Amino acid sequence: MTDYDALVVGSGIAGMESALKLGDMGYKVLLVEKEASVGGRMILLSKVFPTLDCASCISTPKMAASIHHPNVTALTYTEVDGISRDGDGTFKATIRRKPRFVDEAACTGCQLCETACTVAVPDQFNADMVARRAAYIAFPQAVPKKAVLERAGTSPCTYTCPAGIKAHGYVSLIRSGEYEKAFQLVLEATPLVGTLGRACYAPCEGECTRGSLEGTLPIRRLKRFAADRHYQAIDGPGVEVAPANGKGVAVVGSGPAGLTAAWQLARRGYRVKIFEAAPVAGGFLRLAIPAYRLPAEVVDQDISNVTGIGVEIATDSPVTDLEALRRDGFDAVLVATGTPLSTSLNVPGEKLDGVVSGLQFLRATRLGSAADLTGKRVVVVGGGNVAMDAARTAVRMGATETTIAYRRGRQEMPAHKTEVDDAERDGVRFSFLMAPVEVVDDGSGKVTGLRCQRMALGKPDASGRRRPEPIKGSEFVLPCDTVLVAIGMAPEGSAFGGRCASNANGTLVADPATLQTGVPHVFAAGDVTTGASDITRAVGQGRRAAHMIDRWLRGEPLAGFEMDEALPVVDKTKVLTRQVGYTHSTAPESASGSTVKRDFAEIEAPMTEAEALAGSSDCLDCGVCSECQECVTACPSDAIHLDMREQIEEVSVGAVVVATGYKLFAADAKPEYGFGRYKNVITGMQMDRLLAPTRPYNTVLRPGDGKVPERIAFILCTGSRDETVGNPLCSRFCCMYSIKQNQLIMGALPLAEVTVHYMDIRAPGKRYDEFYESAKSMGATYVKGRVAKITEKDDGNLILRYEDIEHGGALVQAEYDMVVLAVGVQPNREVDRLFSGDDLALDVYDYVAEPNEDMDPGRTSIPGVFVAGAASGAKDITDSILHAGAAAAQVAAHLESLKVPA
Amino acid sequence: MTAVKREIREIVREEPFMRGRILAALAEGPHTVPEIAEAIGRPANEAMYWVMGMRRYGWVREVKEAAVDGYFRYQAVAREQRS
Repeated sequence: MTDYDALVVGSGIAGMESALKLGDMGYKVLLVEKEASVGGRMILLSKVFPTLDCASCISTPKMAASIHHPNVTALTYTEVDGISRDGDGTFKATIRRKPRFVDEAACTGCQLCETACTVAVPDQFNADMVARRAAYIAFPQAVPKKAVLERAGTSPCTYTCPAGIKAHGYVSLIRSGEYEKAFQLVLEATPLVGTLGRACYAPCEGECTRGSLEGTLPIRRLKRFAADRHYQAIDGPGVEVAPANGKGVAVVGSGPAGLTAAWQLARRGYRVKIFEAAPVAGGFLRLAIPAYRLPAEVVDQDISNVTGIGVEIATDSPVTDLEALRRDGFDAVLVATGTPLSTSLNVPGEKLDGVVSGLQFLRATRLGSAADLTGKRVVVVGGGNVAMDAARTAVRMGATETTIAYRRGRQEMPAHKTEVDDAERDGVRFSFLMAPVEVVDDGSGKVTGLRCQRMALGKPDASGRRRPEPIKGSEFVLPCDTVLVAIGMAPEGSAFGGRCASNANGTLVADPATLQTGVPHVFAAGDVTTGASDITRAVGQGRRAAHMIDRWLRGEPLAGFEMDEALPVVDKTKVLTRQVGYTHSTAPESASGSTVKRDFAEIEAPMTEAEALAGSSDCLDCGVCSECQECVTACPSDAIHLDMREQIEEVSVGAVVVATGYKLFAADAKPEYGFGRYKNVITGMQMDRLLAPTRPYNTVLRPGDGKVPERIAFILCTGSRDETVGNPLCSRFCCMYSIKQNQLIMGALPLAEVTVHYMDIRAPGKRYDEFYESAKSMGATYVKGRVAKITEKDDGNLILRYEDIEHGGALVQAEYDMVVLAVGVQPNREVDRLFSGDDLALDVYDYVAEPNEDMDPGRTSIPGVFVAGAASGAKDITDSILHAGAAAAQVAAHLESLKVPA
Repeated sequence: MTAVKREIREIVREEPFMRGRILAALAEGPHTVPEIAEAIGRPANEAMYWVMGMRRYGWVREVKEAAVDGYFRYQAVAREQRS
């Protein structure tokens, strides 16, 4: 017993015909179509020859019948990955249902998702003559008329963001001029839009596919642009908050993790209060990152997003007793206290006046209590980002000489390269391969220098960096007045009286996935659990913590699910091969790069609107869909589901019909005709689209400039009957579709002159020759002789050089507005991969072979496998339907024969 | 017209970016594709992709009749009139 009597692969006119005939006979049929609609190519044609009946009018009833026939199950947007024959003569087929990301039952085909979509791609259903959107309905007569989201995967920028920010999404929104929506999209992840727009180290940019071309997009600065625009124009975050749910969460610490968690929880209806030990909220954002990189007012603006939705922040409020928070009515607690402690040098003299931790120095500077360094020589010990910030701040505090002493080399520095470069630009000196051994004083406790030992790099250590090893007898004193120690940071893990377990390095013990500590209602996130990281990772942790706390408070399990179940990241190589060449970058020269300043005013200038638009327009749309969420918002039926995934099914069938059709000849393989280079050279399929009721333009126009063409030439046998391109076969219908187009053009453009360059006209079908004569009588001119070459003029007109055989063989040049290449057909080699175990034999031209074509049409080399339509060779529509009927009869005979007792 | 023809995908991708410039050009009144191209400083074949994409999604529409020089003129569609 099989699932289906027959599997039909391909739903062009032949596939539909075979399926319907078999269905009418009472057989159960599975019809599989890889595109989002049944119908194949015929539905895309203008009219059919020789009747000039509307192709849509003929196709759509069959398309509808294919979907609604009680005996036919039609699966669109589905691929057959493999078919194998069982011992009993039946077949097993592996079916892969590609995710539409749209609930077919809910989608009404309203196209609002398409209108809202921010990603434009060439429309394959209009022969690439116009754009469609990443969210699209295949064509107006699509059956089923349901939308699809084209998603190649997650774009690398989005995939790599630890904060879960949809970077591709906000870039595509900015490109569309939707700046506020871009801001709102970032807000979905974190309230710190302006902060991350300035102080994030932008791992997204490190993964940007444009980076391997002329350079990465300015993704971070685009975020800042969106934030700047919002804060200039709009008061408050402008988001909806769920009704209060009666539960409260205390957040300890107001750094990026705490603020983000509070934001997420408050939006879900929780009463949230943040307890901050410092006199100002923001954690390291306010107390460590210098103002020239992150102005206080920007942090305040971002924090106002959080307070704007009801979060209370208590400053000067250190928490030491987590249980007290529980008693105060908070149902859960999040510890997000970061890494406020500095690692000590552990060298003599560290307690001297003039030795300060880098963090303390930065904090004091931001609070206005730092010592004046005017005229001082400062040595900063360390090679991380805090060391860079401390050094650059020292320069701004008046130090005459600031030196960074680092025990490894420049390549091994953990600081981000941009930070190192900027420090150097500020005048900071670097002394590599030296380690402090003692802080030296003048005998009265005043620092006079730092005794150091020179180092050499040995083998890599656990961190992968080469281990510094002291060089004996190499000690020297680096003269200085102040030593800033920035060699590491640590959390204050013991701050809660041991209520939560901590690791040896002071970090709190929390499950890395759920962020729950050993105390069920206490969660921990950010640097307090991971050790020092960066803002963006802390934001991601805060977001995760909020999600987990929400689940825990709603009694849902914390394991067994993925918080951000992203599609796999797109292969950048595949992205780059979507285009043969890249000729373009719209980004104008930026006037807003860093400049050397020695004060605390923000260094990086904002992007202009022109820069933001140009920068965002360089996006390659790696994942195609940008996940900007515009379709989700626009859909009135809640039909968009980005969490859909492909489904693999195995079905058993009694017989198989291969109806995979043909491929059109790639016209650029005849370079002498200039297709792909000359703007007004198009293919016959493109002309059919221009003539169709659902055409891409308002009428037949030149694609080069929109002019209504007055002189149009056709070149027949482009890529067929042509040994030079390896295709000696006649494609059988090019003459006739060209004649059809001749007539339709003369109807649509009465003043147009149509000339056809041909070898010989093949019009052997019923009323075909009459159709040809009719075109001639309407005024089409037919010139016998191959066109040798086309050249393009500056005005887009095209010069054809050809031999006029019927007029003495003269070599002639003629000028046209537009040229149509009547391209031939080629076999669809996708059938090669369909079968395993049995080889589906192909003929010498690589079409599916019919071993006994004359007497047994439709049968292939595999018993039980049949071929319908142009998969076995070029056929026009009429012949395809006939052939499909024959294939259906063959299937029926085969299935019935299996029922006859042996 | 003899400038290097860029990849279609690359041109099409820029439609959302070019939309504002084209609408700004059309604020003065209807234009042909070559006129729009000149106004935005880009090749006419590229402007053709953008204008036709915008037409498809209701941002512009053609003025009814083609002019005597064989070009249609396109005008901006007010946001509230877009379907």
